Amino acid sequence: MATGNGNRKSPSNAVKIILVIVAVVFLISWISKATTGMADSTWLNIRDGFLITFAAFLTLSIFSFLYNDNPFYKFAEHLYVGVSAAYWMCLGFWSIIVGNFVPHASKTLSTFFKVPFQEYSWFYYVAFAFGVILLMRLLPKAGWIARWPLAVIIGTTAGFNLSRYLHSDFMSQVGNTFQPLFVDWQGAGHFFSNLSLAADGQLVMSAGNWIVVVGVLCGLVYFFFSKEHKGMFGAASRLGIWILMITFGASFGYTVMGRISLLVGRITFLFDDWLSIL
Amino acid sequence: MSVGLITSVVFIGGGVLWILVQSVKGRDVDRRWIFLFIGSTVALALLFHIRFGEKATPIVKAAFNQIENLPEGASVLIAFDYDPAMEPEVGPMADCFIRHTLARKHKLFLMTLWATGQALMTNTVEDVLKPEFPEAEYGTDYVNLGYKVGGFGVINVVLSDFRAMYPTDAHGTLLDSLPMFNKVRSLRDIDLIISIGGGTPGVKEWVLFAGNRGNIPIVGGTAAVVAPLLYPYYPRQLVGLLGGTKGAAEYESELTGNYDRFKDMDTPALRMMGPQTMAHVVVMAFIIIGNIAYFRSRKREGK
Amino acid sequence: MRKLALICVVMVLAFLPPPLLGEVDSALLQDSVTVDLPEPPAPPGNVTATDNPNDNGRAIRVTWELSADDTTGMKNVIGYRINRAEARDAADSLWTEASDILPSGTTEFIHSGDGEEDGPDYFAKNYDFYYRVHALTADTFSVSAVVGPVQAKDNWYNTGVTFVLLFVALFIILTVTFVRIARKGKELYIRPLAGIEAVDEAIGRATEMGKPTLYILGLGSAADIATIASFAILSRVAKKVAEYQTPLLVPCYEPFVMTVAQDTVRAAYMDAGRPDDYDEDSVYFVTSSQFAYVAGVMGTMIREKPATNFYLGMFHAESLLLAETGAMIGSIQIAGTDQIAQLPFFVVACDYTLIGEELYAASVYLSREPVLLGTIKAQDWAKAVVVGTILAGLLARLLVDLDFIKTVFEVSV
Repeated sequence: MATGNGNRKSPSNAVKIILVIVAVVFLISWISKATTGMADSTWLNIRDGFLITFAAFLTLSIFSFLYNDNPFYKFAEHLYVGVSAAYWMCLGFWSIIVGNFVPHASKTLSTFFKVPFQEYSWFYYVAFAFGVILLMRLLPKAGWIARWPLAVIIGTTAGFNLSRYLHSDFMSQVGNTFQPLFVDWQGAGHFFSNLSLAADGQLVMSAGNWIVVVGVLCGLVYFFFSKEHKGMFGAASRLGIWILMITFGASFGYTVMGRISLLVGRITFLFDDWLSIL
Repeated sequence: MSVGLITSVVFIGGGVLWILVQSVKGRDVDRRWIFLFIGSTVALALLFHIRFGEKATPIVKAAFNQIENLPEGASVLIAFDYDPAMEPEVGPMADCFIRHTLARKHKLFLMTLWATGQALMTNTVEDVLKPEFPEAEYGTDYVNLGYKVGGFGVINVVLSDFRAMYPTDAHGTLLDSLPMFNKVRSLRDIDLIISIGGGTPGVKEWVLFAGNRGNIPIVGGTAAVVAPLLYPYYPRQLVGLLGGTKGAAEYESELTGNYDRFKDMDTPALRMMGPQTMAHVVVMAFIIIGNIAYFRSRKREGK
Repeated sequence: MRKLALICVVMVLAFLPPPLLGEVDSALLQDSVTVDLPEPPAPPGNVTATDNPNDNGRAIRVTWELSADDTTGMKNVIGYRINRAEARDAADSLWTEASDILPSGTTEFIHSGDGEEDGPDYFAKNYDFYYRVHALTADTFSVSAVVGPVQAKDNWYNTGVTFVLLFVALFIILTVTFVRIARKGKELYIRPLAGIEAVDEAIGRATEMGKPTLYILGLGSAADIATIASFAILSRVAKKVAEYQTPLLVPCYEPFVMTVAQDTVRAAYMDAGRPDDYDEDSVYFVTSSQFAYVAGVMGTMIREKPATNFYLGMFHAESLLLAETGAMIGSIQIAGTDQIAQLPFFVVACDYTLIGEELYAASVYLSREPVLLGTIKAQDWAKAVVVGTILAGLLARLLVDLDFIKTVFEVSV
C-alpha cells in the first residue's frame, strides 16, 4: 500500500529526494512571501513569510495522512500535541491561578502579577488546598489522599448538574411534549373543508405534533431495558429506533456541511493566503 | 464563471461516472481517490469563483430583524465561544454581527468563554471593527472583556454581576471607568445576547443559564454540527439561529441587500457556498453510488 | 404646599434624561411661578412591595396598577420610577431612586442589589424599607401611596424546583424498592444489548492477534455522566485484558480523567490477580486540545494497530475522525456516547454502538450485580412515569385544553 515500507530503518533515496524537494519548495515560498510582503518592515515581512509558509506546510503535512502515515504527518502531529499541551498548561496557570486565585488570596501576589486585588475569600484557599492534595498522587505513599478532592469534585458537579438537567432538559422537555394533537380544532367539517398542505396549515401542524409525540414515546420505549421487546412493545421500540436513525441521518447531513466548510476554509487559506492565486 | 461552471461540471460528472462504473463492476475504489476527488471539486469551485445566490430563511431573518429592531444604543453582548477549527464556519457570522450592530449604533460587549476564542476575537476587532468603524470609540461604543475560565459558571456569575467576574476588561481597565458600564451591572441589563460557538460552553449554555433565567433574548450562530440540536429552542428560547456556513451566507446576503455601506463588503461565507454546494452534489452522488453498489453486492451474494 | 410641589418637580427633573430635561427646562423658565403647573397624571394604584421569592435576600418585588392616564385618559404617561426610603414619612430628600425610568405600560419592577456593603448596589437583608411609585409625564408627575415596611429575606428553599424534588424523591423510592427486591434474589430480566455482548469477544480477538486494546474515554470531564459510566466499563475491560494478558492503551484528554482512569485500571489488574502486570504508562495524558488529541491518537492507531477500539464517553467532532481511522486499520470498534450529534458517526463507522442511555446501562450489564440491576429496573419505572405523564398531559390537552400540567412544568429555576 505504501511506498518505501520496506525501508523502515534507513530512508530510501526516494524519501531523501522528497525531503529535499519539500525543503526547497519551503525556502522558495518563504523568500517569495518575504519579498512580496505588505508589512512595513523587512523583518516583519520575513517573519510573516515564514509563518504563512510554515502554516501551509503543516496543513499539507496533516492532509498527507489521507494518503498514508508518513514522516511529515508524524512531525506535524508531534508538534501539535506538544505545543497544545504546553499552551493549555500556561493558560491554566494564567487564567486559573493568576486570574482567579491570586486576586482573592494575596495583595502582594496581585501586585506582582499586575492583577487588581479583589477581596480575601477563604473559599479560594480551600480550592487551593484541594489542588495541592490532588498533586499528592505523585507521591507513591500519599497517593490515596488525592481521592478526596476528586470525590468532592465529582460529587458536587453531579449534584449540581442533576437538578439543573432534571429541570431544563427533562421537566421542560416533558412539558414541551404536551402539544395539541389537533391544532386549532374546530370540528371535522371545518378540518376537511380547509384541508391544505401549507406549512402553517392545520393538517401539517397537527401531523408535525403527532410525529413529535409518537417519536418521543417510541424513543422512550426503546430505552426500556428490563422488559422484553415483543409484540406491541417491540413494535413501538422498533419504531423508536427508526426515528432515532432518521434523526441521526439529518444530523449527519448537517455535519457533512460543516466538514466541507472546514475543507473550503483550509483550501482558501492555501490558495489565498499562501499562493495568492484567488 | 460559465467556463468555470462547465469545467467543474465536466470534472465532477466524469469523476462520478468513473466511480459508478468501478463500483458497478464490483471493484473497490481506493478511499484516497475519493479524498482527492472531493478536494479537487472544492479547489476547482474556489479557483473559478463559482457562486450561488442565497436567500435568508425565516430563522436567519428572525435573527437579522432582532438586531434591526432594537432601539439605537441598545446593549448587545457577543460571545466568541469558538476555536480556530470552527473559524471558517462561524468567523463570517462574527464579522456580520459586529458590522450590523455597530451600523445600528448599538453598544457592543465582547467576551469569550473559550481560551482559543480570545485571539480570534482580537483579530475580528483589529480586522473588521477598527478599520470599518473608525468612529466607534473604545469604552463608549464597544468593550472587550476578554476570556475568563469557568465555562457556564462564568455565565452564572455575570447574570447577577459583571464586576464579580470581570473587575477589569481585557486590557486591564477597571470596568467602572468605562462609560458603557455606567448602566450595566449584569447580564440582565443587556438587551440581546449573540452567542457564536459550536461546542461546550456554547449557544446551549447561553440559552439555559442566561436566556432562560434572565429572560434575555438570544441569537445563536453555530457550527453546522450542533445546529440540529439547537432547533428545538427556536423560537421560544432562541430568537434566531445561523447554522454553519449556510446560515452565515444567508446573513451576509441580508446585510449586503439591506445596507448600502455593506454592498462591497467581503463575504467569505457566500464565497464558500459555491464550493460547498458543489461538494454536496458530489457527496450525494457518492451516497447513491454507494447504495447501488451495496444492493448489487447483496444480490450477487444472494445468488 | 406649592413650594413643596416645585421642589418635587425640580427633583424629578434632575433625574430625567437630558433630551427630556431640555424641553421641560424652557417651559419651566417661562411659567415657573405665574402660570399653573400642568395637570399631573393619575397616580399608580394598588402598589405592593414583597420579598422577591427564591433568591439570596437582596431583592424586593414592587408591583402597581397603571396610572389611569397611561393607556387611557390623557394617555400622556411616559414612564414610571420607583423610590425607596427607610421610613414611611421620610422627607422627600431621603427617598432614593430605586429604578431608572421604566417605560409606560410597566407594572412590575424587581429592585435588587448585592451584599457588598460599600458598593453602590448594597441591599440590606432583613431591613425595613418603604416604596412608592411615580407616574411621569413629559413635564410633571404624580406619586402613589407609600407601601411598606417590607424586608428582603434569604430563601432556603426554591419553590420553583419542587417538582424536581418530588421526582428525585420518587426515583429514590423506586431505586431502594427494586434494589431490595433484587437483593432478595428475585431474577430481574434485562434485554440483551449486542454492543455489550461483543465486549468479551472483541478483547478475545485482540488476544488472538497479539495486539493491544485501545480504550478512549472521550473528551468529557471526570464529572460527566458519560465519563463516569465509561469508567465502570473500563474497569471491566481492564480486568478482562489483565486476564488475557494483552496490552491496554488508554490515551486521555483530561488530566483528571487520567488520574481516575489510572486508579480504575490499577484496581482492575489487582482484581484480576495480576497487579504486577499493570503498566503505569498504559494510561497516559496526551493533550487537552481537541484536534491535537485526535492527531495524537490517530498516530497511535496507525502505528500500534490495535485489534479492538473502545470509544465510550463524551465525544465531539473527533468521533468520526477516530472511528474512521479505526475502521481503516481494521479494528473491531465498540462505541457509545450520549452526544446525539456524534452518534450518527459511530453508527456508520463502528461495529457496535451504544446509544445514549445504553451507555449508562452498560456497566450494569457487564457486572450483573443485583444492586445495579435494581437501579435499571427503577430507571425503567421512572421512564414509565414520564410516559404516563406525557400521555396524561396530552389527554388533558386533548379533552379540555386544560393547560395546568404545562404550567407546572414551566416553572422557572
